[in-house]
Amino acid sequence: MLEITNLHARLADGREILKGVDLTVKAGEVHAIMGPNGSGKSTLAGVLAGRPGYEVTAGSVAYEGRDLLALAPDERAREGLFLAFQYPVEIPGVNNMYFLRAALNAVRRQRGEAELDAGQFLKAARAKLKLLDIGEDLLQRPVNVGFSGGEKKRNEIFQMAMLEPKLAILDETDSGLDIDALRVVANGVNKLRSPERAAILITHYQRLLDYVVPDVVHVLSHGRIVRSGDKSLATELECRGYAFLDDAAAE
Amino acid sequence: MSDIRTGYIEAFQKQRAKSREAARRAAIARFGELGLPTRRAENWRFTNLRPLEQRLFPPAPAGTVPAATLPPLYRLGVPSHRFVLVNGRFAPALSDMGDLPLGVSLRPLAESAPALAPALDAPFLRESNPFLALNAAFFEDGFDLSMTDVVAGEQPSPPPELDRPIEILHLAAAANPVSLHTRNRLCIPPGRRCTIVETFAGSGPYWTNAVLEIAIGDGAALRHIVLQDEGKEAVHLGHRRIRLGAGARYDGFTLALGSQLSRQDTIVTIEGERAECLLNGAYLLRGSQEATIATLIDHAAPGSATREVFKGVVADRAHGVFQGKIVVRQAAQKTDAHQLNKNLLLGRQAVVDTKPELEIYADDVKCSHGAAIGDLDENALFYLRARGLTAAEARRMLIDAFAGEAIDLVADGAARSYLRRHLERWLAAREE
Repeated sequence: MLEITNLHARLADGREILKGVDLTVKAGEVHAIMGPNGSGKSTLAGVLAGRPGYEVTAGSVAYEGRDLLALAPDERAREGLFLAFQYPVEIPGVNNMYFLRAALNAVRRQRGEAELDAGQFLKAARAKLKLLDIGEDLLQRPVNVGFSGGEKKRNEIFQMAMLEPKLAILDETDSGLDIDALRVVANGVNKLRSPERAAILITHYQRLLDYVVPDVVHVLSHGRIVRSGDKSLATELECRGYAFLDDAAAE
Repeated sequence: MSDIRTGYIEAFQKQRAKSREAARRAAIARFGELGLPTRRAENWRFTNLRPLEQRLFPPAPAGTVPAATLPPLYRLGVPSHRFVLVNGRFAPALSDMGDLPLGVSLRPLAESAPALAPALDAPFLRESNPFLALNAAFFEDGFDLSMTDVVAGEQPSPPPELDRPIEILHLAAAANPVSLHTRNRLCIPPGRRCTIVETFAGSGPYWTNAVLEIAIGDGAALRHIVLQDEGKEAVHLGHRRIRLGAGARYDGFTLALGSQLSRQDTIVTIEGERAECLLNGAYLLRGSQEATIATLIDHAAPGSATREVFKGVVADRAHGVFQGKIVVRQAAQKTDAHQLNKNLLLGRQAVVDTKPELEIYADDVKCSHGAAIGDLDENALFYLRARGLTAAEARRMLIDAFAGEAIDLVADGAARSYLRRHLERWLAAREE
């Protein structure tokens, strides 16, 4: 589903952040990408979603056989790629329900499905909210405005549940969450798991991986994937910290 | 420019108005002294009056009301009392006043002018606004809404409320340049209330020069919603004078979308204590449109409050101006006045001039003002696009939200939906 080859990317100020990332994600898999602060995790998520401000200097990303980097951010979203933001943006004056219906209908049009009217949308939204144990008042508020940190992350997971992406990328969605919110996030990912879908969980901590068991765990360091393994790699990192990576590199 | 001045004086000499002869002559003489404003006048320095300097708009002659129909676009869509003017004159065929409650009078100013004559002319001629002088020289008609606070006979007191909104439509259709000078009046006696929705719309090369005087008595309340959606070639000058009595409330909103050049002047005088003035609005400009919103709120009595919010969306090569002044006189202690002007600049050649101003002579007051000019939030745009909305859809949603927040200040539900519809229409046309 996703094939990243030798990906190099830098910021507008010229600092190179990604220095040759290779990663293959197959349909049905959940991958975790871990790594210390500044290792390039969020840059990788941003480049995949098409966030402005990054320049890809080498390498390629194929998504379902197409050149992902040639697509505009909204085309990527309509093709089934979803980024759960580390810092969801507050948008005053835009009603959450109105926004999400417009987004869902954009995605549905692309999939060749009929658009939902306000009533149909509300019904579908209520069902998802209930499934995820999120309060309905979320719908009527302006997008993320005045939301607590936990509410913002729940809103991201709710959007993901509604849009049913093929490839979900969660950028540190678990940071700063209490155990209830963490369960909501985990629940959202687990409900989406299927042989046709895939997810990339970018995380600093192993905690989320107790609830969503990944097929593969990668360690990103200094803009490269330095180790890959199964769930036990996450446990090892938790025990020994990221410092051992540098030790390993020094050896 | 002196040609233009002479042009209007000559047009005056040709006109055959039968009423108010002395007053009209005094008014055109005053216009002759003043001429058109120049940029040297502080109050006009940001307003580009070129369309009025380059072309003469002779007053629309009487009896030339073209057969017009009422565009569905400009129907409020709820039961109302409708008063329509076409090219500055009452159009009975398009109006539908319905059953006005006892004690409410809504009629063409041409009918009431003789009785009102001195009050109509005296105050404006001492001022140095040439457009008020020109209006006094040329106006023939307008709307005149008045109410009585007591109804003679066996009617209960207070008299029945006016529970439907009043719709005033100023329609224009011009094949050749014409100017439409109307004088309009609204008088709400103590304790009464009223909602009025005014719309300006039309097509062709015309110039609207409308003057509206509003008096709101003690404890009375007016909701006043204005949609300025004049035609592309039109010039719109709207001048409003509002006087507020003790405990009176004015809740005004203006949505300015139309005309190549527009300027709306609102002058509010708070004469009574504990009055409330809400003066809000939005202007959306594109192409090479020019629009000025000029407001002056004069707190002359203590304990009153003002809330003023104007939001501007200025695209392409358009130019928006906000000049807002709040004066708090020495007697107006305990005044609570806040003013805010926010602008979205959507084109490299788009320009906004904003000049918020407070002038305070009392020492125990709460006053603030603010102004902001910015472009669309890049992070919000990316967030919306990352959920599948195209760049154009995302921009539209953010502009809609920005202007919509202003429209949400309109308390009347029907008027709010009416303005929303026109905002959506503006946004849809922008994408074409």
